[in-house]
Amino acid sequence: MAAVEKRRPAGTPAGSFTDSGRPSVSRTAAAVESEEDFLRQVGVTEMLRTALLKVLEARPEEPIAFLAHYFENMGLRSPANGGAGEPPGQLLLQQQRLGRALWHLRLAHHSQRTAFNNNVSVAYECLSKSGRRKKPGLDGRTYSELLRHICRDGQAPEEVVAPLLHKIQCRDHEAVPLGVFRAGMLTCFVLLEFVARASALFQLLEAPGLATIDRRVGQAVLDTLEGALGAGDHATTPACYLEAGSRLGPDSLALAMDRAAAGRRPSSPMAREEFLEKAAALFIAKVKPVG
Amino acid sequence: MSRLSVPCHVKGAVALQVGDMRTFQGRPGVVVIDVTFPSIEPFELQEITFKNYYTAFLTIRVRQHTSAHTPAKWMTCLRDCCLMPDPHSEDGAQEYVSLFKHQMLCDMTRVLELRLILRQPSPLWLSFTVEELQIYQQGPKSPSVTFPKWLSHPMPCEQSALLLEGLPDPSRVSSEVQQMWALTEMIRASHTSTRIGRFDVSYLFPLLGLHCPEQVRPHSPLCYRWMAVMT
Repeated sequence: MAAVEKRRPAGTPAGSFTDSGRPSVSRTAAAVESEEDFLRQVGVTEMLRTALLKVLEARPEEPIAFLAHYFENMGLRSPANGGAGEPPGQLLLQQQRLGRALWHLRLAHHSQRTAFNNNVSVAYECLSKSGRRKKPGLDGRTYSELLRHICRDGQAPEEVVAPLLHKIQCRDHEAVPLGVFRAGMLTCFVLLEFVARASALFQLLEAPGLATIDRRVGQAVLDTLEGALGAGDHATTPACYLEAGSRLGPDSLALAMDRAAAGRRPSSPMAREEFLEKAAALFIAKVKPVG
Repeated sequence: MSRLSVPCHVKGAVALQVGDMRTFQGRPGVVVIDVTFPSIEPFELQEITFKNYYTAFLTIRVRQHTSAHTPAKWMTCLRDCCLMPDPHSEDGAQEYVSLFKHQMLCDMTRVLELRLILRQPSPLWLSFTVEELQIYQQGPKSPSVTFPKWLSHPMPCEQSALLLEGLPDPSRVSSEVQQMWALTEMIRASHTSTRIGRFDVSYLFPLLGLHCPEQVRPHSPLCYRWMAVMT
């Protein structure tokens, strides 16, 4: 009800609302300048449109939190914020740029590929606008740092992601082209999701009350996955997908787990870190190294 | 199994009869049909199909190519095959019949000529013969004869009932593992064409005619091709 009350005066044309808000404007000018013009002049229209587009692109689950984040970031980005007084130190600038790039990268899930690719491009531009003296471009150091940042924030154990970083990060002096940057970001985000899946799998396999799983069963599941992935190495595409589907079906997995659990070897516990590390190794083996 | 029709020439039926055809009142009990293959080399017979017309018993003789010097011999490959259980009644009188090589008494390779000997002991029927005669040889094998094991032996469903107690739910485990597989396959499939242009000289890549040890040599054309793709 209150919302309706509030909206009603806005509906009346050339109302006193604009007048009272901006007393310096003369009566005739006020008549000409509608609310729409005002919004356009101060840039709100454009800003809101961009924000809405971002929402549409990312389709977040919680739009309010998303928009709040978005406008917060807008504040950081505006020149008025950083321009006052002494320019901030190089390190701080770098941190800000990294933060902004990260924020862009997280806007869309990697499965929304177009949106994700757009955001990667924006993040790339963000990062390559470095100091005034340097030529634009992204160096390997910033890229590697960004990768480390993403992995650290992804709550994956360090020893799990270290092999991936070793495989895809660049050396400090190397210039990173957009293609490599995009592939690296994608791989990183997909690995994080993979690790999250592996973690969920660990919870499924977990014995109630214990924080470990039966090593034989865990290893059997991972071996089955490895076998299915290995099928893709020598078979043609549709056939290997079918074969993987057959190998990873519930029946086949149940049989593998059953065989492992009934085996003669004694049961020993396997911790979460070890399981994740072994699972991630399967993933990382399929990542093409940068070169 | 694929089969291939063999072009053949079916000669007119010859009735065998004792005495003069025109004056003798009794009907012939035996008819002979010769089949020749003028336009084809000796072949391995796979199947004979025809539509019966009041033939009670069928005997087939085959002439096979043995060698260039010895004349081809006649062999009986089917003896008195019963087409009508009771020659006096209609049973099987007009049925379609298919005879395969494994039903034959002898090997059916290098066939030159066939002779069909039809018998009908019952005097009830005015005439008897076989119609729509077709001879087949084995066709080319279908390209994928060997199926992968996972396709030809699906997991029997009963096995899940035998599972040990205390194992996690296989369908949920399977769902997670399949997701992990899909993510990995996605990364495997996605590749960037841009390269950073790193040229590392290592003993594995014999660059530009540098000396490389013998055991690396077999791979070197591969490396050069790889480099050509890269540049």
